[in-house]
Amino acid sequence: MISVIREIRFAWYATIKNIQSSAELRASFLMNVVGMAINNTSFTLLWILFTQSVGNINGWAPKDIVGLVGFGTLCFGLVFSIGDGIRKLPEYVSSGSFDRFMLSPKNLLLRIATSSFNASTLGDVVFGIICLTLYGFLTDASGLQIALMFLLIIFTTLTFLGVAIAANSLSFLFVDARAVVEGTFDLFLTTSLFHGGAFQGFLRFFFILIIPALLVGTLPVEILKELSWIKLILTGALSMGWFILSIKIFEKGVRKYESANFITFGV
Amino acid sequence: MNPDAIRVSGLSKKFTFPVKESSSNWIRNLLFPQTREITAVDAISFAVKPGERVAFIGPNGAGKSTTIKMLTGILFPTLGEIKVLELDPAKDRKKLAYKIGTVFGQRSQLLPNLPLTDSLEFFGVMYDLPNRDIRNRIRELTDLFQLHAFVDQPVRKLSLGQRMRAEVAAALMHKPEIIFLDEPTIGLDVVAKKSLRDLLLTINKEESTTIFLTSHDVGDIESLCTRTIVINHGKIIKDLPTRELARTFVYEKYIDLIPEKSFEHFPDLPEGIRYLTQNKNKITVVVDNNTIGLQESLKKLLDLFEVEDIDVYSADLEAVIRHIYEKVPHERTPTRK
Repeated sequence: MISVIREIRFAWYATIKNIQSSAELRASFLMNVVGMAINNTSFTLLWILFTQSVGNINGWAPKDIVGLVGFGTLCFGLVFSIGDGIRKLPEYVSSGSFDRFMLSPKNLLLRIATSSFNASTLGDVVFGIICLTLYGFLTDASGLQIALMFLLIIFTTLTFLGVAIAANSLSFLFVDARAVVEGTFDLFLTTSLFHGGAFQGFLRFFFILIIPALLVGTLPVEILKELSWIKLILTGALSMGWFILSIKIFEKGVRKYESANFITFGV
Repeated sequence: MNPDAIRVSGLSKKFTFPVKESSSNWIRNLLFPQTREITAVDAISFAVKPGERVAFIGPNGAGKSTTIKMLTGILFPTLGEIKVLELDPAKDRKKLAYKIGTVFGQRSQLLPNLPLTDSLEFFGVMYDLPNRDIRNRIRELTDLFQLHAFVDQPVRKLSLGQRMRAEVAAALMHKPEIIFLDEPTIGLDVVAKKSLRDLLLTINKEESTTIFLTSHDVGDIESLCTRTIVINHGKIIKDLPTRELARTFVYEKYIDLIPEKSFEHFPDLPEGIRYLTQNKNKITVVVDNNTIGLQESLKKLLDLFEVEDIDVYSADLEAVIRHIYEKVPHERTPTRK
């Protein structure tokens, strides 16, 4: 228990230091935050305009897109603000700078995740919260739905984190895995923000069980709309499963790490 | 009796990598590459006592860094056993990290955008030191490493010499029992090198920190380490006190010949003797004692040249190490005559 507290204390401390480090470059910090908020707004507006022009697709209305984008951007922001180091894993592995994390007395995965902070993702967090609040108002959400929304944020964040860890752990298997990792993760990310009504039949099965993109936004919105306990249990079980699997993949990958001797800098 | 600080037996590390088969087309090479296995470290064994200062040297690609990475838990051995402070680095990586410090000359561990003092504090928190101890240790290391002038500057603005001092200070925040240094003086000027070596000697004396160092700099080895382990092609080829290194490997003698008037001709030399420098006022020859004895070589040289003075001397440590590096183990073992 004491060691868990120490791990969390250090992870929190490392995050604060990373924020301070990013904030040292103030102009870039603010530009990143504002830039990401503008990017998200235009993305959401495009989807809403599209849905308004083609009408409801498989029961998905424009307001549902707000919820979908809210879940997607919030979990993206939560994972890659505090845990931006996960995205840098391919770079760490190929350059050999992964060495310094192996020398740390802390949990390896937590240490890597909290090794970097991405200011632009704060824009995603803020945008996600605004979208979900707006979605709550638009759907006139009940107390149960609001409680479910908090639970679903935890599930979607776990799924997102799990997929991010698993995809980036591919870098242990290939010499320069950046393209493979980006390609794999982009398939997941792009699909997770796609119109939820577009996935039926095999596609739905594929993007829930094989690439869990629909667990991030589509299923949570459907759960809130339908109050479906089966979908809730499925989402919860799959998100936990992905998270546990990703840790196993990461641990297996670490055993394959071969280091390198490039000149690198910074914690 | 204290157990060994480091104990290694039969340690090996193999790497496999894809190789391009020239007879196959690029699609086959891409999809079904041939792989080759190299043995970076080949069944090495040695032990280091607490408080020892050991240089682990060898040419590029000899297996130094791979060994140090296995000792610190970065790489997992293919075969063999390692005990560092009675812990297995592959299994007890986190526990071991609390007891060792590491400095990689080519790899910074500091926070580039924040003041140095923040990096030192970061290390203190990472090693779970109480806040009061962190403050005291930062003060102690700032005094010892004379960091006052730049402790408040962002790390990215430090000179290389300042940064290396800071790297070592950060690695010592938690008072490690062993410090591993991989090329710590790389790129430093002579003043910065001396300053860093003096600091490491002080730490070794005052805190009994075991020093395990790899370096290509002879000065590091001569002035810092009492023992030298030489590795080449993954095998340990020598493990001996540093002061005996030159004596053991000297199989060449240098002879300076000073002419009575001036040298006009430079005849071919007998087998085992070669010119190093040749000019009118001085000739320097190198005698390979494995081929020709010193007495015989002197006689033959005196038959060839009229000289006023002769100076016979051994190679310095740098030349000795160069010779060791140039040799392939098993091919020729230096012998003293």
